[in-house]
Amino acid sequence: MSNPVFEVENLSLHYLTRFGQKIHAVTDVSFQMKQGEILGIAGESGCGKSTLVNGLMGLFIPPLHPTSGDVRVGGESLMNRTPEDVRENVLSRKVSMIPQGAFNALNPTRKVKDIAADVIAAHEHGTSRAASYERLAERFALIFGKDATKILNSYPIQLTAGERQRSVIGISTLLNPQMVIADEPTSALDVSTQKVVIRMIFDLLDKGIFNSMIFITHELPLLRHVADNIAIMYAGEFVEKGTAEQIVFSPKHPYTKALMGAMLSAEPGQKDRKPTAIEGAPPSLAKTIEGCRFAARCPVAKPECTQKKQDIRMFADRLVRCDYAE
Amino acid sequence: MKMFMNLLKSPMFVFGAGLFLLTVAVALLGPVFYNVTLDRVGSQYAEPSWQYWLGTDDLGRDYVSLLILGLRSSLYVGFLAGVIATTVGTLLGIYGGFKGGIIDDLLNMVTNLFIVIPSFVVLILISASFKDGRSLTLIGLIIGCTTWTWSARAVRAQAAAIKSRDHISLARINGDGTLAILVKHILPYLLSYVFMVFILQIASGILSESAISMIGLGPLDTQSLGIILNQAKNNGALGDGVWWAFVPSTVMITVIVFALYLINTSMEGVFNPRLRD
Repeated sequence: MSNPVFEVENLSLHYLTRFGQKIHAVTDVSFQMKQGEILGIAGESGCGKSTLVNGLMGLFIPPLHPTSGDVRVGGESLMNRTPEDVRENVLSRKVSMIPQGAFNALNPTRKVKDIAADVIAAHEHGTSRAASYERLAERFALIFGKDATKILNSYPIQLTAGERQRSVIGISTLLNPQMVIADEPTSALDVSTQKVVIRMIFDLLDKGIFNSMIFITHELPLLRHVADNIAIMYAGEFVEKGTAEQIVFSPKHPYTKALMGAMLSAEPGQKDRKPTAIEGAPPSLAKTIEGCRFAARCPVAKPECTQKKQDIRMFADRLVRCDYAE
Repeated sequence: MKMFMNLLKSPMFVFGAGLFLLTVAVALLGPVFYNVTLDRVGSQYAEPSWQYWLGTDDLGRDYVSLLILGLRSSLYVGFLAGVIATTVGTLLGIYGGFKGGIIDDLLNMVTNLFIVIPSFVVLILISASFKDGRSLTLIGLIIGCTTWTWSARAVRAQAAAIKSRDHISLARINGDGTLAILVKHILPYLLSYVFMVFILQIASGILSESAISMIGLGPLDTQSLGIILNQAKNNGALGDGVWWAFVPSTVMITVIVFALYLINTSMEGVFNPRLRD
C-alpha cells in the first residue's frame, strides 16, 4: 500500500475510573488506509467501536486516555497534542465525525446556518459571518440543491430526520477533512432514508470533499455494500480484517462466523438460514486477559485457547486473530 | 417571543405578573401620586382615617408613606440578592455540571458546605458584626452570598443532564471549546430554568430581608417592610392591639412573594411540558 493517508499503529486506549482502575477498552489496533478507501468496522455493542473513534480523532476527554500507539493523518501524528491544538487543527480539518444518532445532534435553539457557521468560526478566526453564510449556501446547495436556503434558515425541529441527518453530514464535512468517521450514521433511520443518506455520503466522497472514510456499524450486510474493507472488532481488539467480500462470504475467525450466523440476511444462499444467538457475554476489560478473548464463547475453542495470547496475523488473504482459523 | 406569548395564555402567569408589576408600580410611582413624607404628621398611633389611610406609627409618621418607601427597599434588596445568588449559582452550577470529574466534585463540596451551614444564622452573624454602616446594599450582598447554593444545585443538575446530549458532542467534535459550548449550547437551554430560579431567589431575598430586619439587624440607612415590623414589635404594638402597625406590611410581603411564586409556577407549567395536563 503506497502512501497511506491514515495510519493507526498498535493503538491502545483505556478509561481511568475514579478509583484508579483501568478499563482497557481498545487494545492493539493497527490499520492503514489509502486515498478513497472506505473501511467498515463492525462488532457488537460495547466492543469499543465508539471509544476507538475518539482515539482516532485524538479527542481524549477524561476518563479516556491513550495507553500506547500512534495515529497519523498524512504522516502527522495526532497523539500528545494539547486539547486546544486538537480542537483547532485536527477536528473538522483533518478528521471529522458524523456522530451516532446524528439527527438529534443539532442544537434545537439555533438555526442550522448558525450551527454550521460556528464550525467555520471555531477554526478560521476572522472569517465574517456573511462570508461564512455564503460558503454554507454553496456547500448546502451541493447537498440539498434548491432547498439549501430553506434548510439553512430552519430550526432543526422544522426539518425531517433525513434532512437533519444530511445537515449534520454537511456540517461535519464543511472544512473538507481528510478523513471522515461515520459512527452508525444510518442505524436509526428507515431504509429509504438510509439509502438517501448513504448516496449523499458517496457523492461527497466522489466530489473530493473528503478523502477516505471509516464507517462504523453493527449492520454487516449494509457494510458489504458500502465498504471496501471490513474489520471485525471484539472486546476491544480487531479479530479479523479483510475485503468486504471475504468477511461477509467467507469469514475465518470463529467470532466473525458467529456474528454472520446471528444476522438476518437477504443475500443469496443465506435467505433461508435461521439466525443463531452467540451464547455468553464478552469478558470484562478491567482485568488482564491471558488468552484469546473469545475463548469462553467460542464453539471451536481448545483448552489452550484460554491461556495462549492470540496475535493478529495473515491467514490466507486476510488478517485473523486465531491460530485455529479455517 | 413565542414563549412569551404562550406565557400570556396562562391566567396564573397573567395574574401573578400583574400583581407583581402592581407592587413595583406602587413602589416606583407612589411618590408621584401620594405625598410621601417621613415627617411627623399626626399623633402617636393614630387610627386609620380618611386623612391617614393606614394610620400613623409611634412617631406619628404616616404608614402609607412608610409602606411605599419600605416596599422600594424590599424590592431592591430582593433584586440585588436574586441577581447575585442566580449569577454565582448559575456560573458554578453550569461549569461543574458540564465539566464533571474532580472539578465538579470540588464545586459540589463547596456548595454542600454552604448548604449545611444554616444560612440564616450566618446572615444574622454577619449583619450583627457590622455595627454601623449596615446599608441596604450590604444586606442585599450578604443575602445573595448566602443563598446562591440552591441555584447552583438546581442548575448543576440540569447542566449535567444536558451535557451528554448529541448536539453537545457534535459541537465538541467540530472543535468548540468549553466556553463556547457552555455559552452557545447549554445556557440557551437553561435560560428559562435560570429565570425561574431567579424569580425564586428574589422571593427568598425579600423574605430574608424582612426576617433579618424584623429582629433588628436590618439596614440602618432606610425604611423597609421588615423595619416597620421591627418597630411595631419593639413598641409592643402587637400586644396593644394596634393592628395597623403590622398587618399592612405583612400583607405586602405576602403579596409580593405570592405573586413571584405564581409567576414561577406558571412558567414551570409552560416551560416544562411534562407538567402540562
